[in-house]
Amino acid sequence: MKRSGAILLLALGAILGIVTPALADGAQVGADIHVAQTLGGRDLTVIIRRVAEVPGPVHVDVVTHAGSPPGEITLTARAAGAQTSTTKVVLGEKPGFYSGVLTIDRPGPWELAVDEATIPFVVPALVASPWENATYGGFIAAGVLLFLALLFAVFGKPGLALVPTAGMVAAIAVAATAALLSPGIPPVAAPGTQLDPTFDNVNDPYQRTSATDFSRPPVNLVPSMNGNDLVLSLTDGSSGRPVDDLLVHDSAFMHLVVVSPSGNLRHLHPIRTAPGEYRARLQAPEQGTHAIAAEIARRGGGVQLLRSQVDVAGSTAVKNDGKAGLATEIREAGRPSTITAGFGAKDLQPWLGMLGHMIVVGPVTGSPADAPIWAHVHSMIPPTPGMPDKPDESVAAYGPNVPFTYSFPLPGRYLVWIQVERDYSIITVPTVVDVPAKGVAEK
Amino acid sequence: MKRYVLIALAVVVAAAGALVVLWPRTVAAQPHLAETGQLRFVLTPASTKSGVNSFDLRITDLRGKPAQGDEVVVEPAMPQMGHAIAPITAGPLEPGHYQVGDVGLYMPGQWEITVSLSAERVVIPLLLT
Repeated sequence: MKRSGAILLLALGAILGIVTPALADGAQVGADIHVAQTLGGRDLTVIIRRVAEVPGPVHVDVVTHAGSPPGEITLTARAAGAQTSTTKVVLGEKPGFYSGVLTIDRPGPWELAVDEATIPFVVPALVASPWENATYGGFIAAGVLLFLALLFAVFGKPGLALVPTAGMVAAIAVAATAALLSPGIPPVAAPGTQLDPTFDNVNDPYQRTSATDFSRPPVNLVPSMNGNDLVLSLTDGSSGRPVDDLLVHDSAFMHLVVVSPSGNLRHLHPIRTAPGEYRARLQAPEQGTHAIAAEIARRGGGVQLLRSQVDVAGSTAVKNDGKAGLATEIREAGRPSTITAGFGAKDLQPWLGMLGHMIVVGPVTGSPADAPIWAHVHSMIPPTPGMPDKPDESVAAYGPNVPFTYSFPLPGRYLVWIQVERDYSIITVPTVVDVPAKGVAEK
Repeated sequence: MKRYVLIALAVVVAAAGALVVLWPRTVAAQPHLAETGQLRFVLTPASTKSGVNSFDLRITDLRGKPAQGDEVVVEPAMPQMGHAIAPITAGPLEPGHYQVGDVGLYMPGQWEITVSLSAERVVIPLLLT
C-alpha cells in the first residue's frame, strides 16, 4: 500500500510537470502604435501603447513638438456597442510627452479620437492557435493517460494498462507533430492590415480565407482649400468609394509633402476627419500654386504616391532655415549619389521611426508641381547595442552624420530638403543638387 | 464479459472523440454591429458563403428605439477588386427592421457593405468564404 501511494505521488508529479508549461505561456500580442498628426496648429505624435489586458487601461502618450501651443486636448476611445471612455490631456509649454489613460472593455476594432482627428486601431485578442492547443492538449492527455496506466499497473491489471499506454503514445505523437510543424504553418491574414477588422475576426483570428492577394486598387486624390486647411479627398480608383482603409506606415496614415511656389517645403501628417477625408492646416501659407504629394498605404499592402497641386491664397513665404554641413558626392544620372548632412552634436531624435528624411523634387524647370521626379529617401537608425530596436522620440542619441543614398534618375537641377529632429523641433535643411547627364565628367 | 464491456466503452469514447473533432461546423452567420453618432445598425447575413445572400437589418437609435425611415440603401462592394455592385433599396418590415433580399455576392473574400438610412451611413465588413 505504501508503495502504491509513492507511485501515485510520482505520477501526480509527472502530470503537474507536463501541465505547468501551458499555464506559464503568455504570448505577447500587439505593439505600440505611433501616429504623427498635424492637428490644427500642432504637430503631435500620438502613441497608443500596447494593451496589456482587456478589459483594462490603454495608455496614450501625446508628444508635442517645438512651437506647439499649450492647451487641452480630449482623447476618446470608442467602439460600436462599447462604453465610450474619455479623458483630457493638458499640453504644456515645453515640448515632450503628455499622457492620458483610457479604458477599453473588449478586443476588436476601436477608434481613438484626438479632438477632431480620429485614429482607427485594433485591440488584439489573446488567442491560442490551434497547433498550440494541439501541442498542450496532447501533452496533457499523455500525462492523464500515463497516470491511468500507472493506476492499472499498481492495482494489478498490467494487461489493461496497455490501453492507456497506447493512448499516451498517440497523444505524444500528436503533440510533437504539432510542435514541430507549427513554425512552418503560414500565418493567417491579419485583421486590420489585410482584412477589415471586425469583433469576430479579431477574437477568432485563425479562420482561414481563400484570398491570397490582399492588395487594393490605386487611389485618386483631390485637394482643396478650406480657409487655411488643406482638405484631401481620397476615393478608390476602381469603385469611386471613399478610401477609409489607410494603414499606419512610417508612423503616419499619410505623409503629405507640400512645396510652395518659391520652393519651401512642409512635411505634414493630415488627420482623418471623415471616411476618405483628411485635413492638414497650412500655417501662414504662401500665395500661389503648391505642389503636393501624399504617400499612403492601403489595407492589403503596398505604398502609393499621389501627386497633385492646389492653389493657395496667402502672403509671403516662410523660408526653410535649417543649417547643416553637407558632404555630397553626386554621380551621373542613374548612378547612386550620396549626400551626408552633419548636424554637429550626437543628440538627434528619431522622427517617424527614422534618423532623417530627404525629399527630392526635380528636375525643376518651372514649378515644382511639374517636376517629373518626386522621392522620399530615408536614413535609417543604426542598430546600437544596448538601445531599443525601435526607439521613440525620447531617445536623443543619434547622429551627428545623417547619410542618404539616392540614384537621381534624370540629369538636371533638383530641389532637396533634409529633415531631422532635435529638441522636439523639426529641422528642414534646403539645398539644390545638379545632376550631370550620363557621360559628362563629375565637376 | 467484463472485457467486452470495456472494449465497448473504449469504442464509445473513441467515437465520441472523433465526433467532437470531425463534426462539421456550420459557419454561423454572426450579427455585425456598427454605430454612427445617432443610430445603431445590426446586420445579420443569411450566410457567410459567396452566392446569393440576404441580410436581416435592425436599425435603432443608441437607446434601442426603432429608427424612423422609409427606405434603407445597401451598397455592397469588394475593396480588393475595386468592384461595387448596384445599390439595393429595401423598405421596413416593421419599424426599424428591414429585410434585404437577393444580394448577389458571387465572389469569396472581403466585402464591405455600406448601409445608409437617410444621412446616416455605416460600413460593415463581411468576410465570405
